[in-house]
Amino acid sequence: MSHDTTHLPPPLDLSRWRKLPARLMVVGGILCAIGAALSYQRNDLHEFGFSWLLAFMFYYSLALGALFLVMVHHLTDAGWSVGIRRFCEHLATLLFPWLAILFLPIGLLGPKIYQWMTLDSATNNLVAAKLPVFTTAGFWAASALFFGIWWLLSSQLSRWSLKQDETGAADCTRKLRFYSGWGIVAYALTLTYSGVLWMNATSYQWFSCIYGVYFFSDCAWIGLATVYVIAAVLVRQRIIAPVMKRNYFYFLGVLLLGFTLFSAYTEFAQYFVVWNANMPEETFWYLIRERGNWWGLSLVLIFGHFFIPFFVLLPEKVKMNFKVIIPVCLWIGLMHALDLGFNIFPALHPYGYHFKWVWLPIGCLMFMGGLLAKVFLKKFNAHPPYPQRDPRLLEAMGVSQNTVRDLTEANAGGAR
Amino acid sequence: MSEKLYGISAEFDSPAAILRAAKKVRDAGYRRWDAFTPFPVHGMDQVMQLGNSLVGWVSLAMGAGAFASVVGLLWFTNAFDYPLIVGGKPMFSVPMTFVPSYIMLIMGGAIGALVGMLGLNQLPRLHHPLLDHKRFDLVSRDKFILVIGAQDEKFCATETRKLLEGIGGAHVALVEDHD
Repeated sequence: MSHDTTHLPPPLDLSRWRKLPARLMVVGGILCAIGAALSYQRNDLHEFGFSWLLAFMFYYSLALGALFLVMVHHLTDAGWSVGIRRFCEHLATLLFPWLAILFLPIGLLGPKIYQWMTLDSATNNLVAAKLPVFTTAGFWAASALFFGIWWLLSSQLSRWSLKQDETGAADCTRKLRFYSGWGIVAYALTLTYSGVLWMNATSYQWFSCIYGVYFFSDCAWIGLATVYVIAAVLVRQRIIAPVMKRNYFYFLGVLLLGFTLFSAYTEFAQYFVVWNANMPEETFWYLIRERGNWWGLSLVLIFGHFFIPFFVLLPEKVKMNFKVIIPVCLWIGLMHALDLGFNIFPALHPYGYHFKWVWLPIGCLMFMGGLLAKVFLKKFNAHPPYPQRDPRLLEAMGVSQNTVRDLTEANAGGAR
Repeated sequence: MSEKLYGISAEFDSPAAILRAAKKVRDAGYRRWDAFTPFPVHGMDQVMQLGNSLVGWVSLAMGAGAFASVVGLLWFTNAFDYPLIVGGKPMFSVPMTFVPSYIMLIMGGAIGALVGMLGLNQLPRLHHPLLDHKRFDLVSRDKFILVIGAQDEKFCATETRKLLEGIGGAHVALVEDHD
C-alpha cells in the first residue's frame, strides 16, 4: 500500500524551475543594492535595516521550525515523520553558517534598527534595566551564543543522522536522542531570547511574557507549511514516496491546523492581557498598531492569519488534498511575512507603512530565499533523500512488524 | 402486538469474507444494510460508502450558539440593561467577551458532540430487534454479521435471502421486530 505511486499524477517537469533560485538571488540582490543606496541617501539606512531584518526573521523562523520538527521526531520516537526528517535536517543546518552570515548586516546596522543602541543607559531607565544585554557587546555576545547553540544542535543532528545511513548503529539513534533531549530545552530558551532581542527589541520599551511562545508558534507554523509543500513535491516526483504515505500528510495537516490555532491563541492572549491590564507602558505597542494602515494590517492578520486557514484546514479530508493545502501553505508564508512586518515595522513607521518602500523587503526576501534555496538544494542533492537506516523506516513504509520479524528470523537462520 | 420483519441476517467467518460480501450487497443496489463485527474492519467504511458523521455539524452549531448567546448575554447585562463601568473599559468590547464566550463555545461544542452522537444513533433506547436474534451475541466474539433491513426498497424476503446465501453467508435468518 505504501508504494501506491500509481495513484499519483505523473511527476512534474521541474527543469524550468532549476534556474529560479539563481534568478531570485540576482533580482533580489539588485533590489537590495538599489534599496541600500536609496535608503542610505534618504533615511540613513533605516529602511534597509528593517527590511533586511524582516527577511532574515522569515527564513530564520522557517529554519527553527524545521529544527523543532527534527528534535520532536527523535524525542517522540515517531514512525511517520521518518520521510520528512532528512530535508528538515537540511533546513535546520541553514542556521549555520548561512543564516549567521545573513545576520551580520543586522548586527552591523544595529544602531539603525535598534533605537536602544543609540541611547545612554545612564539617562534611560528602560535601557538600564536590561543591562548587560542591552549593550553593543552584549548584543553580539548573545547573538553569538544563539548561533553557537544552533550550530551545535543542527550540525550534530545532521551528522549523526548521516552516520546512521552508513552504519545503522544503535549508537547513532542514542546520540540523536541525546542532542534532542537537552536541545529542546536550549531551543526553547534561545528561540525566546532571540525573538525578544532581535524582533521585540525594535520597540525596546515594550515587554511581553508570551512573546517567545508566540514567536515559537509562528516558527512551527511556517516550518510545517514549508515541510508540507516540499514533501508534496518530493512525493509527486517519487523521491520520498515509499516512506510518505497519504495519511502522513493528514498528520502534517493536523499539526498545521493545531499551530494555526495555537499562534492565534498566543497572539490573542498577548493582546488580551495588555488590553485588560490597560497600562500605558504596554498599551502603546498596540496603540501604534491601530494607526494608519497598521489598523488594516491588524484586520488582515486576524482574518488571514487565523480565520481563513483555520476554516479551510478544519474538514478532515481536506488535509490530504494537495490542491487545497499547497495554496494554503503559500498563503501561510504570506501571512507569516505580514505578521513579522506587523511586529517589526511600526517601530520605524509608527503612523503607517510607506508603501513606496514595499519592494525593498520583497527584494531582501527574494535574495535570501534564492541563496538559501541554492544551499538547501545542494545539501539535498548530496545526501540520500530520506534516512536509510532509521529504526522506524519499515514502519514508515507501512511494512507490518510481523513481516519484519519473520524476515529477520529467516535471515538469522540463514546466517547460522 | 404486530410482528413485523426487521431484516435478514447472514454470518461470515472472517473480515475478508464480510468485506467481499458487503461489496456484493452494495453492488446489488441495497442501501439500508449494516455490518456488525467484533472489531473495526479496515475498508468497510469505504465499501459502505459512509461519509463523515454529521456529529461535527451539530457540535459546530451548538458551539456557535453558545458563543453567540454568551456574547449576547454580556452585551445585554453590561451595555444595555444595566450599563456598568468596570476598570475604565468600554461598556461592550470584543476582547472583553472573548474569554467567557470561548469557554462556553467549548462546552457547547462538547454537549453538541454528545447529544448529536446520541441523537443520530437514535439512543438511548431500551431494545433493538437484533438483540432478539439468538446468534447476534456472536458478533462480540468471532462472527461477522451482515443485516439487510426490511425497509430497503429492494428488499424481498426470498430474493434477499437467495443473495445472502449466494455470497457465502451462513445461518441466514429472518430477524423479527416485536414492537
